[in-house]
Amino acid sequence: MALSKRIIKETERLLADPAPGIQATPHEDNLRYFDVVMSGPSQSPFEGGSFKLELFLPDDYPMTAPKVRFLTKIYHPNIDRLGRICLDILKDKWSPALQIRTVLLSIQALLSAPNPDDPLANDVAQHWKDNEKDAINTAKEWTAKYAHE
Amino acid sequence: MAKVPRNFRLLEELEKGEKGIGDGTISYGLANPDDIFMSDWNGTILGPPHSVHENRIYSLTLHCDQNYPDSAPIVKFISKVNLPCVHASTGRVEPSKLDCLARWSRNYTMETVLSEIRREMATSGRKLPQPPEGSTF
Repeated sequence: MALSKRIIKETERLLADPAPGIQATPHEDNLRYFDVVMSGPSQSPFEGGSFKLELFLPDDYPMTAPKVRFLTKIYHPNIDRLGRICLDILKDKWSPALQIRTVLLSIQALLSAPNPDDPLANDVAQHWKDNEKDAINTAKEWTAKYAHE
Repeated sequence: MAKVPRNFRLLEELEKGEKGIGDGTISYGLANPDDIFMSDWNGTILGPPHSVHENRIYSLTLHCDQNYPDSAPIVKFISKVNLPCVHASTGRVEPSKLDCLARWSRNYTMETVLSEIRREMATSGRKLPQPPEGSTF
């Protein structure tokens, strides 16, 4: 299927002018499927880590949101054990005015601001609420263990 | 149609499996909930009524390699069963003997495979003598 003009334009811009700390590269054999590498934001427990994600633009994009998940293990209350992300703009708050770039920037912002009140990983969220300092330490350990290559 | 990459396809299948399929006569789920590549799955088939399999619960494993869904999953019975499409000593579902595996298509899912095996139990395997309930390969 031919790619829409919109996807081509977005891809060109992502490659020519990448957002800071985010690298998105389309697969050669499937231009709707991107490998993403995201740097952990500074001042967050993920600082210094390099996180792999995958992103796919479904048939009806931009009428529906891209599908995104983490491939690198990460200790975060809004990201589950399979890397699935709980973020409103990926679900009911999606708007065709948003883009791949805005989605990835929002995910990066979610790393800076975990939200244990809207959890996907319940055990992690509970840890975050009970003892934030300890949870942050675990997140740092996981970053050192899994997100350094 | 856009070609859905393996991992996102398996996530769709996982979500469908978690919600429960149809009347619950077949089901499947991840063997290891931490397996980020979602390669190994457990399946269950409830023996169809009016057959020798009635009231039996069969456990299977399904392995989806890196080429799935371009290539078919590898399916094996854990529970012992006597069916023409199942190898008598290993429990492996022989791809050449199950139509959906022999003529695999990218649109087929783990649900397709489990449903077809259950259909075999109700047809070609309806009256075949079966090993004792609860025995395993």
